Amino acid sequence: MSQDIETESTGKVNWDKFLKDYYAKPQSVRTWSGFDVKEIYTPEDRKEADYGLEVGDSGEYPFTRGIHRNMFRGRYWTRREVVGIGSPADTHERAAYCFKNGGTGLNTIADVTYEMGLDPDHPWAENEVGLTGVNICSIEDMEDLVGNIPLDRVSWSVITASTVAAVTMAQYVAVAQKKGYNISRLRGSIQNDPIHFAYCGFRPACPLDLSIKLGSDVMEFCTKNMPKWYYTTVNMYDLREQGITAPQEIAFGFGIAMCYIDELLRRGLDIDDFAPRFTFYVSCHIDFFEEIAKIRAARRMWAKLIKEKYGAKNPRSMQFRFAVHTSGCSLHPQQPLNNITRISYQSLAAVLGGVQSLHCCSYDEPVCLPTEKGHLQALRTQQIIAYETGVTNVADPLGGSYFVESLTDKMEEEALRIMKQVADIGGMEEAIRTEWLDHQFEKEAVKRQVELDEGEKLTVGVNIFTTEQETETPLGVQRVSSVSTRQQIKDCIKLKETRNHNKVFDAIKHLREDAEENRNTIPAMIKATEVFATTSELMGTVREAYGYSYDPLNILESPFDFSSRTSKAVV
Amino acid sequence: MSDKKIKVIISKIGLDGHDRGAKVVANLLRKAGMEVIYLGMFQTVEGIVKAVVDEDADVIGISYLSGEHLMFTPLVKAEMEKWGLDDVLFVVGGSFPPEDIPPMIEMGVDKVFRGGTLTDDMVAYIKANVRQKE
Repeated sequence: MSQDIETESTGKVNWDKFLKDYYAKPQSVRTWSGFDVKEIYTPEDRKEADYGLEVGDSGEYPFTRGIHRNMFRGRYWTRREVVGIGSPADTHERAAYCFKNGGTGLNTIADVTYEMGLDPDHPWAENEVGLTGVNICSIEDMEDLVGNIPLDRVSWSVITASTVAAVTMAQYVAVAQKKGYNISRLRGSIQNDPIHFAYCGFRPACPLDLSIKLGSDVMEFCTKNMPKWYYTTVNMYDLREQGITAPQEIAFGFGIAMCYIDELLRRGLDIDDFAPRFTFYVSCHIDFFEEIAKIRAARRMWAKLIKEKYGAKNPRSMQFRFAVHTSGCSLHPQQPLNNITRISYQSLAAVLGGVQSLHCCSYDEPVCLPTEKGHLQALRTQQIIAYETGVTNVADPLGGSYFVESLTDKMEEEALRIMKQVADIGGMEEAIRTEWLDHQFEKEAVKRQVELDEGEKLTVGVNIFTTEQETETPLGVQRVSSVSTRQQIKDCIKLKETRNHNKVFDAIKHLREDAEENRNTIPAMIKATEVFATTSELMGTVREAYGYSYDPLNILESPFDFSSRTSKAVV
Repeated sequence: MSDKKIKVIISKIGLDGHDRGAKVVANLLRKAGMEVIYLGMFQTVEGIVKAVVDEDADVIGISYLSGEHLMFTPLVKAEMEKWGLDDVLFVVGGSFPPEDIPPMIEMGVDKVFRGGTLTDDMVAYIKANVRQKE
């Protein structure tokens, strides 16, 4: 459709096109998620609302306007860039670079090997180790990743690898204890939402029952041992990246959160024991007001859900704490510097929405892993918003806007409607088992492409104002060193040859028994990690106890033979 | 018969689990009248090419989003050559630097589609370049 408004890259100005552009007006008056909006909003649109009941001041139930009274006057959000590349040492180096430049939190992301729960010596890992993030095989890797970072002072969001979050937690705790930290003082968070990873390409590694079991083991362990740790980051962002709408993001995210809550209640915990440690990872897409409204609606809905459905008494349980990852799928390889502008608006929406922690994508996200320059630029975007724009002075500056309040109501209404739909199916677990959820993702993803194809949604450089394809990435391309990859594989093989096999065997046997007896697996995972058991050994052992193949790809068999006290890994 | 449907095999390869794009492309090529088989995730080079042979497909489409494109592309091409599939159109899509497009073409890819490609452009390319079957 865009042929007639495309720019001509060379030659004379086309004055017909000039006039068309001059008289151009928005061709859609819908939000990104497809809701009609009016020309203007007035007090008439807010007649019914009771300010105290539905909105309230920031810091007051239902927290629509923010979870703190003074919001950023107390402290800016945590400026936390996601880092993960190649080996643990490579990743540590990039993290240190972000800290040196004013990053105030750390979020490490894993490679697909670790995310699948495989060791680097797996036959399928050879081509992939370290390509999309950091690979962690053993306690030694976690030590390299941590380096000299003071774990009791830096808030670390540990590894975006939900499948193996239990293993990650064990590896982190093992290293922290080895370094002499009292784990009850550790601050940070872990993305411990294994259920959602089935929708991120890791389905064989995260069967639903095991996901709920291991996710809840981490939550239960931390509730008892690590009171300052945020141990459940429900990942609404990854769901949104599948192409779904803003209200679907809330509804599906909350549905998954409720799977964990229900399991923790079944284990005998009280809602107020653990709800204050729940956090969320939220997307900020390109529709500015819709994203702000979505965040405000999510805050109000969470407060009501935890208070009214689950009977929480502690106001902290009702506070929707969240980090934002600006939307990767809204970025494009065409005219890549434009992504900086997209990211700026998205992060501004996050800040106006009252975010606790923010990752700005780097402009080169649709091209490669972030380059150092890309990372720095993303961090600078956060710093410009924080230090220059003045938007941080007032809590929820858009609160009371006829439009934003009305759109917030709309987001809540739609998300509640979808949650009701899920409840009618029989709850989120049922929606997952019957693949109803898969169907929603696939349907929406196709819709998004059709909108682009038909010009219903316009994207600069893609279906409007297009130019010739670039031949170069403006600030260079990030490559992963194949030296790091090969070394990581070698180190894993060497570790397995040189560690004390009897100790590993005993620790793994203990883990297997705990899993079979349905005890919490985290203590046994920590012990096994301390004696150099590896990621796939921990995951595989628990998988087998639950009746699944040791290797999610069904290629390797368990090296441990519990009937004869031998380990095939022992040569 | 000239109006025989164009047959396309689309696949992910290795451990990369970003499958939104592959599924969308499969769906929309089907809507454009092609016969599309989406093999899914965790496929091997050998398995994908075997599927092309077994299905007598006209087009092979691989989706890369985890930086593995330069690693797997030559392997796919070599396997295709082993089976004598020189008249099968080899297209790839996904996320990669523009700097890597010429090397992929050199490795034997017929066409590279980046994110942001419109479906009509993809359909037009395939229709214009697919082999003419007897």
